[in-house]
Amino acid sequence: MSLKAGCRWRKARLRTILILFIVLFIAPLAEAQTQLRFVTWRSEAEQVWEQIIADFEARHPGVKVVQEVGPHSSTEFHDLVTQKLRNRDPQMDVFFMDVIWPAEFAAANWALPLDAFFSAAERNLFLAAPIQADTYDGRIYGVPMFVDAGMLYYRKDLLEKHNFPPPRTWPELVRQARTILAQERDPYLTGYSAQFKQYEGLVCNMMEFVLSNGGSLWNEQRLQSTLDDPKAKEAVRFVRDQIIRLIANRGILAYQEPESLALFTQGKAIFHRNWPYAWEASNDPKQSKVAGKVGIVPLPAFPGQRSAATLGGWQLGISRFSRNPQLAWQFVQFMTSSETQKRIALETGRGPARKALYHDPEILKKSPQFQSQYETFTLAAPRPRTPVYLPLSNILQRYFSSAIAIADSDIDQLARAASRDMDRVLDLLRDRRER
Amino acid sequence: MSNSQDPVWRFLLPSFVFVGVFSLYPILESFRLSFYRMILTLPWLGQKFVGWENYRDLITDPVALGSLSTSVIFVAVTTPFEVLLGLAMALVLNESFRGRGWLRAIVLIPWAVPTVVSSQMWRFIFNDRYGLFNYLLFGDATQLYWAPLAEPGLALMSIMAADIWKTSAFAALIILAGLQGIPGELYEAASIDGASAWRKFRHITLPLVKPALLLALLFRTIDALKVFDLVFVMTQGGPADTTNLLQFYGYKKSFAEGMIGYGSAIAVVVFLLSLFLSVLYIRLLGTGLLGRERQT
Repeated sequence: MSLKAGCRWRKARLRTILILFIVLFIAPLAEAQTQLRFVTWRSEAEQVWEQIIADFEARHPGVKVVQEVGPHSSTEFHDLVTQKLRNRDPQMDVFFMDVIWPAEFAAANWALPLDAFFSAAERNLFLAAPIQADTYDGRIYGVPMFVDAGMLYYRKDLLEKHNFPPPRTWPELVRQARTILAQERDPYLTGYSAQFKQYEGLVCNMMEFVLSNGGSLWNEQRLQSTLDDPKAKEAVRFVRDQIIRLIANRGILAYQEPESLALFTQGKAIFHRNWPYAWEASNDPKQSKVAGKVGIVPLPAFPGQRSAATLGGWQLGISRFSRNPQLAWQFVQFMTSSETQKRIALETGRGPARKALYHDPEILKKSPQFQSQYETFTLAAPRPRTPVYLPLSNILQRYFSSAIAIADSDIDQLARAASRDMDRVLDLLRDRRER
Repeated sequence: MSNSQDPVWRFLLPSFVFVGVFSLYPILESFRLSFYRMILTLPWLGQKFVGWENYRDLITDPVALGSLSTSVIFVAVTTPFEVLLGLAMALVLNESFRGRGWLRAIVLIPWAVPTVVSSQMWRFIFNDRYGLFNYLLFGDATQLYWAPLAEPGLALMSIMAADIWKTSAFAALIILAGLQGIPGELYEAASIDGASAWRKFRHITLPLVKPALLLALLFRTIDALKVFDLVFVMTQGGPADTTNLLQFYGYKKSFAEGMIGYGSAIAVVVFLLSLFLSVLYIRLLGTGLLGRERQT
């Protein structure tokens, strides 16, 4: 090889390396500046979701929304999001927050306060309960996307056949279920299907029983657990002795939402407790054998008490470590706009967070259940709103699961122990208050 | 005396750096954090040195003690099963027959599948409505179906079964390596002396494969003590907290609840337990490996 040829060859090689370098390193950098990373879970109606995000991109040329899909379980999704926040990951801009997290994310300095973007007048257009959940120490950290509350679904056909009105009290529900089970003689039929696995959903389900007996989980002012109060324990005992032992099958102790819903949509459960999305799912003939035979009412209460529904739902939050909070806000604003929430409500049956949509004729025509659900949503009870909610929840999960999974559990002793554990965690907050 | 010119040091340096950065530093950091009270969600509490407080809390925390005993039961039940099953598999795989290569590869599949995937599979197998476990037991009589993952008495056993299924192959692999090191002449000599198959196994195979057995036991014990993914996918610690293994509890404290100090204390305890067991086994193993046996 001559010297000249070698030189030319070297030049060509240099050029190739340069081009490769640009393609591999510089080009993605230029693109990354307009990339918005959204950490979400898999939606029930994926095409609608994709379409909405495509619309946002169309309105903001040069912006690419990258979706990172996390696990569906709230607990596991929490671990994913908090890990990114703890590592101060600038890759994540917008994320979903369960209704129980804003206090924690705010106290830990993870979520960006949105007061500058999200005016008080605008906040008034949303349901009060989720807005309150998104507020911590007087500042707002999230924009409500969906709102959820526990509802009772029932088999209209079976109740009519046996001449029962929808139950208003828990003992009535148990009585009805036992009668129907005895007369139907279907070995596969079960009376009650709900979420009793040891996980966050257990706290939601059990809180509804406790509150609808006039009990409570904690005293917010005194920062004290109230699990050991007779009313709270009475409700837990009822679940163990009547719901689990008499009308449910044992498998319920391992059920989350999908398993319990599947049982109901397969026509194997008389009563079913779930969030509002189950309405759409159980009335869809493609996935449900009981489409058209489903009724929905507020959850029962104990005699002389008021019904209670746990507040659930999802918020959009912005990471404090996002490099592009302005654009992130535009995305959040778009996703929580009246237009987008309406689209999602029409397609998925999830409860929108904006009040006005509950009077929207188009939505009410498609999902008439929203009319009656509106009151439940406005009255729904929040779970303890505190930065130490996760430790409290783990104590509650352990307590409730131990109390109901073992037939002769010593509820008094378990409640005392759980109460003591909760008080120890709550004492951590006392330090701050005294300062 | 060695100086920096000595090439041995230069060859060793990369591995020292690697171990230092990826093993030693995290361990020391866990030790350090376990003496602090640090709660991520309450940043105003700061990072306060609290001495042995986390450890004092740990030994009086009934949940931690409960999960420690669950972990001990888990290790005590799964490891002997895994090593015995592994030995049986290794003995079969060590024989020569048609398709042995294939079988050796197939046996390793459970171990090669990511634990999260196999845990999900086992969750389906133990499902109370359509699980294979129930189908094998009861066939079409679905009203008799059990819900193993919902029963406080059965959930831990279900997880143990999944662990045994998954990791016996790993034990088999180690034991098979040990078996292959046994010279064939010993068996030939024994055959000439008219020894039965059992005697050959008892007096040749077993003594010579002992180091491999102990090694498998060592690896499995340490791994079983650290089991996390099975619980995470299959039960999340329930029902009634019966599958709340120590490592999972520590994870929940550190990562879900943000209690870094307390979570680190749990991690340190798991580490010390593994270290103690490792030293114990290595002492047993050492005598076997170095041939310092009593008869010689």
